[in-house]
Amino acid sequence: MAETMADTTKSAHISSMRQFKAILKKDIVMELRTKEMLTSMGLYAVLVLVVYQIALSQAGSSFDVLRIAAGLLWLAIIFTSLLGLNRSLVHEKDQGCLDALLLAPVDRPVIFFAKAIGNLLFLSIVVVIILPLFYFFFLAGKPLGGPLWMLPLPLIVGCIGIAGVGTLLATMSVNTNGKDLILPVLFIPVMFPLLYASVAATTAVLIGDPGYATVYWNSIALGAGYDAIMLLAAYGLYEFIIGA
Amino acid sequence: MTDTTVSQRRFLGIPGNTWTLILLGLGAVLTTIDFVLAFFYTPLVVGAQVAETRIINGIAVSNQLLFSQKIFYFHVPVAIGSFLIFFFTAYYGVRFLMTKQKKYDTRARIATEVTLLFVILTLITGDIWTRFEWGVWWVWEPRLTTYFIMTLLVVAYFVLRSSIEDEERRATYAAVFGIIAFLDAPISFAITRLIPSSVHPVVLRSGGGLTGMQLLAFLLGLFGMLMLAWVVYQVRLREELARERIEGLKAALEG
Repeated sequence: MAETMADTTKSAHISSMRQFKAILKKDIVMELRTKEMLTSMGLYAVLVLVVYQIALSQAGSSFDVLRIAAGLLWLAIIFTSLLGLNRSLVHEKDQGCLDALLLAPVDRPVIFFAKAIGNLLFLSIVVVIILPLFYFFFLAGKPLGGPLWMLPLPLIVGCIGIAGVGTLLATMSVNTNGKDLILPVLFIPVMFPLLYASVAATTAVLIGDPGYATVYWNSIALGAGYDAIMLLAAYGLYEFIIGA
Repeated sequence: MTDTTVSQRRFLGIPGNTWTLILLGLGAVLTTIDFVLAFFYTPLVVGAQVAETRIINGIAVSNQLLFSQKIFYFHVPVAIGSFLIFFFTAYYGVRFLMTKQKKYDTRARIATEVTLLFVILTLITGDIWTRFEWGVWWVWEPRLTTYFIMTLLVVAYFVLRSSIEDEERRATYAAVFGIIAFLDAPISFAITRLIPSSVHPVVLRSGGGLTGMQLLAFLLGLFGMLMLAWVVYQVRLREELARERIEGLKAALEG
C-alpha cells in the first residue's frame, strides 16, 4: 500500500527529522558519487603541509616546531574549511538546488542544521586525514605533552563552531557579487575567538608545560561557550538569510 | 509617509535640532575640559621602578612617572564609545529584520560608519600609547588585538554591503552580519583576556582604581565623547535623509 503523507504523520506536515535526513542524505550521496569535495579538500590540506615545510625550511635544526605546531594545524584546518564551505554552497546555487529547496515545504532551520552537519562531517573526515599526516611530517619522535585523549576535544569544539558559523556566512557570501572571495573576509574575524581558544587548548596538550591542564580546560570551556552563543545566533538568523 | 527623525520630535519640550546643537556644544566643552585636566591637573601615574632614586624638584623620585598614560583620558572614552555605537548597529539590524523597513537599514549603516570613525581613533591613540609606553609600534596585546578584530569586522560589514546590489538582500545580509559581529566583539575581548598568551602577557595597570581627579577627567571625557558621537550620528543621519528625499523628488519629476 502506498504510503501517503497523511498516513505517516497526524498532519500533512513532514516531520523535521525526515526533512533533515533527506537533505543530509542528498549531500552525502552527491559527495560519494563525485568525491569532488573530499579529494580537493584532502589534497589542499596536504599541499598546505608542504608549504609549511617550505616556510620552515630555513628555520634551522634547533627550531622547536612544537611551539607553533598547534597554530599550524589550525591554520590548515581553517583554510581547508573555507574551501569546503564555499564548495558546499556553490553547488546549491549553481544548479538551482537552493531555490528548489526553498520551494519545498522544508523548515528553514532544518536546512541550516542539515547543511551545517554535512559540512561538519566533511571537515571531520579531512581533519582525521590531516592529523596523522601532520604528526608524521612535523612532530615525529616528539612525545605528547598531555594524555592522548585530550587531543580530540579542542578539535571537536573548534570544528563544530567552524561548521555552524561557516555555514551561515557561506550562505551569505555565495549570494554576493564577490561569490566565494568574500567568505574569508567575513569568516576570519568572526572565527577569531574560537581559533584563539582552540590553538591555546591544542598547544597545552601538545607541549604540556606545567599548569597546562588549567589552560586546557579553560580554553575548552571558552570555546564551547563561543559555540553555544554563535550557533544559537546562527540558527536564529539563518531563516532571514535563506529567504533573501 | 515621511520619516520623522529625532530632529523633528521633541524631548522635554526642546526640538531635536536644538538638542543636537546643545549636545555638540556640551560635548565639545566637556572634551576640552577633559584635555585640560588631563594635561595639567591629573596626577602622574606611577610606573616602573627606576635604577636609582633621584631628587626632582625637592621630591625623591624612585619610580618612573608616566606622562604617556595621560592619553588614557582620550583613548578609553573613544574605545567605550565605539563599543556603544556598535550596539546600535546590532539594534537597528534587529529592528530591520523585525519590520523590514528601510529606515532601520539606513540607521544601521550610519551607526557602523560612526563606529568605524571611533575604532580608527581608538587604534591610533592606542598605537601612540603603545609606542610611548613600551617603545614598540605594535604588540599583540589583548586590547590591541581585540580592536584590530573589531576594525576587521566593521570593514567586513562595509565590504559585504558593497558587494550586493539588490537593496533588500543587502539590508538583510548587513543586518545579520552586524548582529553576528556585535556578538563577536565582546567575546573576542573576553577570550584574549581570559586565555593567557604565553608570549605576550596581559599587562594590567598597577593599582586599579582611579583617584578623584583622574576619575573626574575620565568621566568628563567619556560623556563628552558620547555626546559628540551622538551628534556625528545625527548630522550624518540628516544628511542621508535629505539625500533620500532628493532622490525621491528626482524620481517623481522624471516619472
